[in-house]
Amino acid sequence: MIDILFFGRVADMQGKRRLAMTFPEEGLSLFALRLRLFNGEADERMRMSVNQVMVTADQPLHDGDEVAFFSVFSGG
Amino acid sequence: MVEMAVRLLPAGFDPAAVHGDFLARFGALGAVMAFTGVVRETAKGAAVDYLYLDWYPGMTEASIQGIADAAVERFDIQALCIHHRCGEVRAGEPVVFVAAASAHRRAAFEAVDYMMDRLKSEAALWKREVGPQTDHWVEPTGKDADDLKRWSDK
Repeated sequence: MIDILFFGRVADMQGKRRLAMTFPEEGLSLFALRLRLFNGEADERMRMSVNQVMVTADQPLHDGDEVAFFSVFSGG
Repeated sequence: MVEMAVRLLPAGFDPAAVHGDFLARFGALGAVMAFTGVVRETAKGAAVDYLYLDWYPGMTEASIQGIADAAVERFDIQALCIHHRCGEVRAGEPVVFVAAASAHRRAAFEAVDYMMDRLKSEAALWKREVGPQTDHWVEPTGKDADDLKRWSDK
């Protein structure tokens, strides 16, 4: 399984904050997962992390990973 | 050894009490600088009831701790404190408190300025402004990006 989390504006886009997915036998790239979840809606401003570390879309995924999609940070 | 108190708080806090405690513990060093950010009652002319700060448990704390660690690395300070709210923060309530203590004022001034600039753009938080006529996610402005650049070439 992979655990998929959404934060900020991206949680609104998805209409949910969390999703569990069976890890496919043929493997899955972060790029493919993003395409599957967002179709054309994902723009370059969307950020991603794997196991709480910020990554780019070419990051490989493994069974058991925690993946998150979110908009740019705004704290302070 | 630099004393660090870094907290992500889902409930309200009293910045005056935190400041008082920090002063009592570290005032004898010589210089204490403190900043408090409070939720404004209007944003771009629209009334704001509250901010909602979305957070990623674990990653958000780590991102704020990383900013504190970088400040210790960069400035000659002996103590620092960051209290950052998450969740719903009403207009008029404190959202962030940052303090630093050092032997001389410049390091404390600069460390607080630096931590605030980085918290605005690099803390893993997502801020939503909600009011009677407004409900939207806030994104960092060009000004926030410029503020961050102040520290990139030093």
